[in-house]
Amino acid sequence: MSVNDFFIVFVAVAITMLACRVLPVFLLKGRQLPETVVRALNFIPPAAFAALVANDLFDPAKVTSGDVWSWLAPLIAAAFVVIVGAKTKSMAWCIVVGVGSLAVLTYGPVLL
Amino acid sequence: MAGYVVLGLPCGILCAAAGMDWWMTAVMSILFYSGAGQYMIPNMYLAGNPLSAIILSVTLVNTRQMLYGASLSQFCGNVSKRLSFIFGATVTDESFGVNLARFINGGWTVRAALFVNLFSQSAWILSNIAGALIGAAVSLPTALASFAMTSLFICLLCMQKVSKANAVAVVGAILGVILCKCVGLSGPAILIGALVGVGCALLFSLKTGGSDDSAIKVGD
Repeated sequence: MSVNDFFIVFVAVAITMLACRVLPVFLLKGRQLPETVVRALNFIPPAAFAALVANDLFDPAKVTSGDVWSWLAPLIAAAFVVIVGAKTKSMAWCIVVGVGSLAVLTYGPVLL
Repeated sequence: MAGYVVLGLPCGILCAAAGMDWWMTAVMSILFYSGAGQYMIPNMYLAGNPLSAIILSVTLVNTRQMLYGASLSQFCGNVSKRLSFIFGATVTDESFGVNLARFINGGWTVRAALFVNLFSQSAWILSNIAGALIGAAVSLPTALASFAMTSLFICLLCMQKVSKANAVAVVGAILGVILCKCVGLSGPAILIGALVGVGCALLFSLKTGGSDDSAIKVGD
């Protein structure tokens, strides 16, 4: 990535990011939110994380490519992470197990 | 916080793979500070996306921060503007989860929450720089580095409270994302999927007559 490209992307995303982070804090500051809004806000974390995970694991191009292992391996690795996550609630362990199992699943068959 | 080190290293490695110098990675960690965004930029760049597509997608993904800000704003009622600004600017997926849980349980201050944020960010910056330096020296597969991010999101998902309404939110979001990507809307897929999930769960919880899982004790 050239320095020029970097700055274009960086400045643009940094500004929108700061606006998204800071504006709501000021606009809503100290105000009592309606009950329904509070309710909706509480569903954001599970919905947002589920969307991020689904986005990472599901790629139509890979599913239609015919290479089953290319999307099945991450899916199996993700299943391991779910087990570890539910048991330990530890971010570090989840990452170690996730990356480790994907490495074994991806490169293991090649080595055998 | 060990999570940030484990997450930051692969992110730095990925940035190096996209041809970014270590100082670019450092500047980005300090001023942009977004796990998902900092993974997406090198990922999309390596995939050959135009800059405009990268900016748009990253921004769309980052709009979820607005929801965090809106959610945390209710606890910033009586703190100074400067403190709220710095606190708001340093919120992330991970520290949001940690801080929100403590705010709801009570006895948690914005100042304490800011320390959590700043501590997380320091760990993030240092491990990113370390990753960038490692990545510049040796080449590692990027698919593995980006799976660190996926694993982290799965972990955060596992930390959510188990309830029927939350399950509806999760299923709705997953279906929303799959549908979006099938029709070619891969950029806004995360945002649309998340909103679909929130909408479904909200309808579900209002229909089933407001069980206590959604009646959150805030503001009292």
